[in-house]
Amino acid sequence: MRCFYPSSYLTTSLLVLFFSHTSNLMAEKKKVSFSHDVLPLLSDRCFHCHGPDESHRKAELRLDQEDEAKGERDGSRMLVPGDLAASEVWQRIITADQDELMPPPDSHRKPLNEKERATLRQWILEGAEWGKHWAFEKAKRPAVPTLSQHPIDAFILQKLKLEGLKPSPPAPAHTQLRRLSFDLTGLPPSPAQVDEFAKNPSEENWQNLVDDLLQSPHHGERLTMWWLDAARYSDTDGFQLDAKRSNWPWRDWVLQAFNNNMPFDQFTLEQFAGDLLPDVTPEKILATCFHRNHMTNGEGGRDPEESRIDYVIDRVNTTGTVWLGLTLGCTQCHSHKFDPIAHKDYYSLFAFFNSIDEDGRAGNKAKPYLKYRSPFAQRAVEETTAYVSKQQVLEAAARKKAVAKFSPWLESRWKHLPENYRAWHSLKPRLVTSSDGSSFQTEKENIIQTVGLKPKQDDYSVIAAMPKSIKRITGWKLEIFPHVSHTDGKLSRGEDGEFILSNVKLLVQKRGVSQVREVEITGAIANFEPDNKDKKRQYGKIKDTLDDDPRNGWTTSSGDPRQKHQAVFELKQPLLLAADEELVFVLLHRSTGGNANIGRFRISVSDQSGETVKGLQTAPLEELAKSELTALEAIDAKLRERLLAQFLLDDSVYQKSLNELEVAKVQLVEVKKRSKELSVMVLAERKEKRDSHVLIRGVWDAKGKKVQPGILPAILPLPNSKDLTRVDLAKWLTSPDNPLTARVISNHLWQIMFGSGLVRSPDDFGLQGKMPTHPDLLDWLAVELVESGWDLRHILRLIATSETYRQSSHVTPDLLARDPQNLLLARAPRFRLPAWMIRDNALVAAGLLNPAIGGPPVKPWQPKGVWNEIFMGRLTYQPSVGPAQYRRTLYAFWRRSSAPTFLFDSAQRRACSVGISRTNTPLHALTLLNDTTMLEASRVLAEKSYQHSSELLASMQYLALHILSRELKADEVLVFKREHQRALNYYLAKPTQASLLTTVGQQKTPDQKNAPRIAAQMTIASMMLNLDEAITHE
Amino acid sequence: MNNITTHLNRRVFLQQSGLNLGAMALGSLLGRESASAASSAISSLDLPQLAPKAKRVIFLTQSGGPSQLELYDHKPGLMKWAGQELPESVRQGQRLTTMTAKQKQLILPGITKFSQHGKSGATVSEWLPHIGSVADELCFVKSMVTDQINHAPAMTKMLTGHQLPGRPSFGAWTSYGLGSSNKNLPDFLVLISKMKRASDQPLYDHYWGSGFLPSRYQGVKLRNSKDPVLYLRDPDGLPRELRRGMLDGLGELNRKRLEQTGDPEIATRIKQYEMAFRMQTSIPELNDLRDEPESIFELYGSDSRRPGSYAANCILARRLAERGVRFIQLFHPDWDHHSRLPSWCTARCRDTDQPSAALIKDLKMRGLLDETLVIWGGEFGRGVAGQGKWDSPEAGRDHHPRCFTMWMAGGGIKPGTTYGATDDFSYNVVENPVHVRDLHATALELLGIEHEKFTFRAQGLDFRLTGVEPTKVVKGILA
Repeated sequence: MRCFYPSSYLTTSLLVLFFSHTSNLMAEKKKVSFSHDVLPLLSDRCFHCHGPDESHRKAELRLDQEDEAKGERDGSRMLVPGDLAASEVWQRIITADQDELMPPPDSHRKPLNEKERATLRQWILEGAEWGKHWAFEKAKRPAVPTLSQHPIDAFILQKLKLEGLKPSPPAPAHTQLRRLSFDLTGLPPSPAQVDEFAKNPSEENWQNLVDDLLQSPHHGERLTMWWLDAARYSDTDGFQLDAKRSNWPWRDWVLQAFNNNMPFDQFTLEQFAGDLLPDVTPEKILATCFHRNHMTNGEGGRDPEESRIDYVIDRVNTTGTVWLGLTLGCTQCHSHKFDPIAHKDYYSLFAFFNSIDEDGRAGNKAKPYLKYRSPFAQRAVEETTAYVSKQQVLEAAARKKAVAKFSPWLESRWKHLPENYRAWHSLKPRLVTSSDGSSFQTEKENIIQTVGLKPKQDDYSVIAAMPKSIKRITGWKLEIFPHVSHTDGKLSRGEDGEFILSNVKLLVQKRGVSQVREVEITGAIANFEPDNKDKKRQYGKIKDTLDDDPRNGWTTSSGDPRQKHQAVFELKQPLLLAADEELVFVLLHRSTGGNANIGRFRISVSDQSGETVKGLQTAPLEELAKSELTALEAIDAKLRERLLAQFLLDDSVYQKSLNELEVAKVQLVEVKKRSKELSVMVLAERKEKRDSHVLIRGVWDAKGKKVQPGILPAILPLPNSKDLTRVDLAKWLTSPDNPLTARVISNHLWQIMFGSGLVRSPDDFGLQGKMPTHPDLLDWLAVELVESGWDLRHILRLIATSETYRQSSHVTPDLLARDPQNLLLARAPRFRLPAWMIRDNALVAAGLLNPAIGGPPVKPWQPKGVWNEIFMGRLTYQPSVGPAQYRRTLYAFWRRSSAPTFLFDSAQRRACSVGISRTNTPLHALTLLNDTTMLEASRVLAEKSYQHSSELLASMQYLALHILSRELKADEVLVFKREHQRALNYYLAKPTQASLLTTVGQQKTPDQKNAPRIAAQMTIASMMLNLDEAITHE
Repeated sequence: MNNITTHLNRRVFLQQSGLNLGAMALGSLLGRESASAASSAISSLDLPQLAPKAKRVIFLTQSGGPSQLELYDHKPGLMKWAGQELPESVRQGQRLTTMTAKQKQLILPGITKFSQHGKSGATVSEWLPHIGSVADELCFVKSMVTDQINHAPAMTKMLTGHQLPGRPSFGAWTSYGLGSSNKNLPDFLVLISKMKRASDQPLYDHYWGSGFLPSRYQGVKLRNSKDPVLYLRDPDGLPRELRRGMLDGLGELNRKRLEQTGDPEIATRIKQYEMAFRMQTSIPELNDLRDEPESIFELYGSDSRRPGSYAANCILARRLAERGVRFIQLFHPDWDHHSRLPSWCTARCRDTDQPSAALIKDLKMRGLLDETLVIWGGEFGRGVAGQGKWDSPEAGRDHHPRCFTMWMAGGGIKPGTTYGATDDFSYNVVENPVHVRDLHATALELLGIEHEKFTFRAQGLDFRLTGVEPTKVVKGILA
């Protein structure tokens, strides 16, 4: 066992070597700081075994507490100020004995390198002065260096000066404004704004722009996106079928709070304890939804209490990360290994949230709820109502056009219809095969009779060509006949003469090709189904033959077994076959009991749409044929109606219009539902408090010592800590004496403006986190935030008006080599915009953005089938239609199990997230090249630029001003012109391709004659939207 | 300029990915496939250089919890217990799901016949004749243990090492650790069987997510659709030659910007757009089985002719292995057989038996089995008590975490073995328990990674796939 027992001897020679090597280093050093230089080393290399966590502590030694570290143990001392030889810690660091060395070579902790050893050595020699971790000391306002009028610049310049560096010159006006606009609103500036500022980039104009943008309602939207990631906000539960929830009114509460610049301490208080405040209002209760945004698990079989404990734990961890920048998650199972947070402290925080009137359920049983009507929903109802009216007009016009073609069609059908016309055509099989051994005989009228073996279960495959008399297949019919050779002359040769058809399939096979394609069947109806209402999952329903589940299926048992039975199956789309293709009908008999294979059957197909394949009645055309009319005018009015209905089904132009109307109507129904009173998940205390316990190793039902609600004493002790409530917790978090919250939030704001924080680990201000790059600046901002009355805008304004913020982001190779991570800010950062801003930017550039604020979630374009795949067809994503399609990404419906696909690097919203991940992958490239929103924006931009000027250069400059906020330079124009010419040549030669490209999205398609030009222009717009510059915060 | 940017680009990348300084690529450490700087992955410097036995993993995930009692864990002695209550001495307080917690635990002996297969004499159920036929290639681990009893937490545990979503998946760790050996395809691909019935267990994308690893390590779902990878297909009306021209123009303009700004990220972006262009050809090619001979479809069974089926995905898995993809994960849903074992469980066996066995044969034929670790299994097993009326064909089984069977084959696994054993009730492990994290540690070891040293710093902690509980490499199953 390796631990900190006194070592018996020293290898003196090694010591000497070490000394001689490091002595000259020492002279150059300024005094070592405990919190900035020493503590991180102790924490990283020692505390894992000799820190706050008692369960992993080795040799009963703590090095995180001064008295223990400096005290005497068994006659030796770990640390003796000023005396290296007597300091056991030092001896164990430099020993050559692998069994004695610290950290032990097999501990997987990095060995201390020379520089690190020198730091520790110097610290001991300088007296081993103790202190606290920097972030746990209350921030004091540091003196501002005199290098600049602006405090931020002063701190930045001070450090640059120390490093012998200079700041970069200001960025060009359009770049500055673009940067500011994205940071404060998430949207690009308009070409007019850019033009105005570029003409007069005075300090005063800049200040005004900053103020204008901070006042914009879009500013609240930008901050809300930050907060939704932190709050792990989602529109669904996240587990099982990922049920919807209606917590979006809380999102609008956040939005309003930011737009009203609500002080952050109030913002905190209402979200933690709005329900407990004396002046409680529905909105204050609404605010507490923050702590209900966690995932909920309604999985069948799960113990709801286990889930409830998970939710409480999630609240504690979220509080830790978002407000305190602490990784409390580790203290769920044991005391923190690095930070002074005990296992018990964790459960004291837990106790604040443990008596919520919830029971761990999910879906629509996730009480407590606030019944709330959103003030933002009515606008959406009006918008959708107007859109439905518009579609109604279009549908009526399309119907009129279609109906006009009906009479001539009917006339011609009637004239040419043979008297013996039949809508169904029985199939003569080329081959019938069995999987398990039945044999088949094809008899007259294409009836197939089973003979021979009687396997328990069997699958029949009937292979046949399409009848020559029809050109397509809309449905097929299965007839099942009794026969004397069957058990009791019934329907099957099985046990009781009844059949059970578990599933059916229709495949198409092509000669010479090994793969088959499956044809989708959407409807099924039978002449008889047993009444199984009282028996769950019994065999009976014909629809159950479509789901590939052998536990259910169709039978006619309890019906007349000596009569023919039949079923009709409707195809999703009319099926067309190539000359070398054949149909394969598969009848599966895989029921639980078996012995119920069909005995005698026939398969027919039809080419008629509508009622023929939806029901069992005689087809309308068949009736017309039989009707023996002398003149068409004498046709029965009802039959005419039925024929018209069928006719319209085959008019694809009309069907498209009708479908658009129907989608709009569904959207209206949904929006209306959301404008009514909703159930928003909120906090409410239950009448009887639950006891809270330490959970041993974090296991939900392993209850340890009882605990009371309490704060983290090592961060900031509370004098009076009896009967604390969530109100006290919120006030403790935003107390001016709390060392963490103001630093953590200032760091978030810095991250919003600079892409990364002054502390590069925004979620960890603890001992294992990153040190601030500018500790004094961070403290100054934290104090400023508190003393301004927690005014977030004040801090953002300060940052925006600094020269540091406004400098150029260009970098020289030297500077890049010197400071690749840009820790010193000798240049502005340059980073890719988050995916949500890229989408919003495209909408603004194209003039498509619907700037409405708040309201029910919307569904931007997403590839087909994404939800279907996860939920095996249970859920389908229907993109929003009309103006709702162009709302900001903030309002995009967030399904936790399948986040919006176009947000390629967003937070996952499963747990809270305050860091920023930026990656650069081919999948991102594909998204920006092929996402419908990007393509539709390109198309609209193409049309607008073409309308702006038919002259190529002018139209390109139009695109550039809207996408890049600047004009193209001559060398860039050459590239675009070249690609434009290439595209134009192609589309002029292939105008149908141009028409195809220019129909993407839901906007009106351009005139045929303009299509090639628009298409060519569209490729240019798409290129421009994909330029690195267009998607980058420069 | 170019040299500097490529060089620095990597440094910036390392730092932006939240990696510790001093980190470097295991891929290049092991001196295998020449991984370019931008596509190679990173691991800790002191990562030991274990000799890798496997170059890749194919994980045949059977979602829902297949019944070990019906398929692999033969307990003939149970017949005499049929219908009797499970003794408390066996149950030992095992938690049940709320579905059966209030029901009497009446014993339902396995309803299938078993026979011994091959030289190894492994017992495999009559429902899996094809898997039986390759038993001499497989290693059956009958002593798998998990600590989760519900689907989502148990599958999350199986695939990320932790029961709550948010950690990187097994495949993401692997692609992070080993890097790419194919410049035209992602390192980690996911294939999900196309089913008609809506499964009760959704396949959440966190099962193949990257957690706190950079998102480039997340699994890419290969879909059975015109767009096999989301956004892969160019819009209708845009031919390849124009796309090429657009990308050439884009590259030219981005290079100008690179010169002006000096930002090395632009160089990476140019490369990623080029890789996107190559993927637009390479993925449809691999997804198109038309160049497979008829004999292959016969080997994998008739369902392999139906695109999107598990069987077709098994053929794809072999194609991906041939192309050097690191982690290939298939999902076959709907093994959650709470009722009607004779029709429900057999349906899943029919879907998967022949193709799973065919994949083993096919890999072996091509000399790929030795370097590919194949894993078959679900998130937990099923309990010995019948659910519903135990003595009717309607009966099923509830979830059971304390023991279940998985099998492995190929890359470094001892073939023709059975490892671990359960008690007479297939309820508790009595010999050589293998926890989910042991499985992870063993798989990583075979890939040349020592699990204890394979860490990533996030939220101030060094995380690893195998977590903090004691974990062992299962030496007994290594060849």
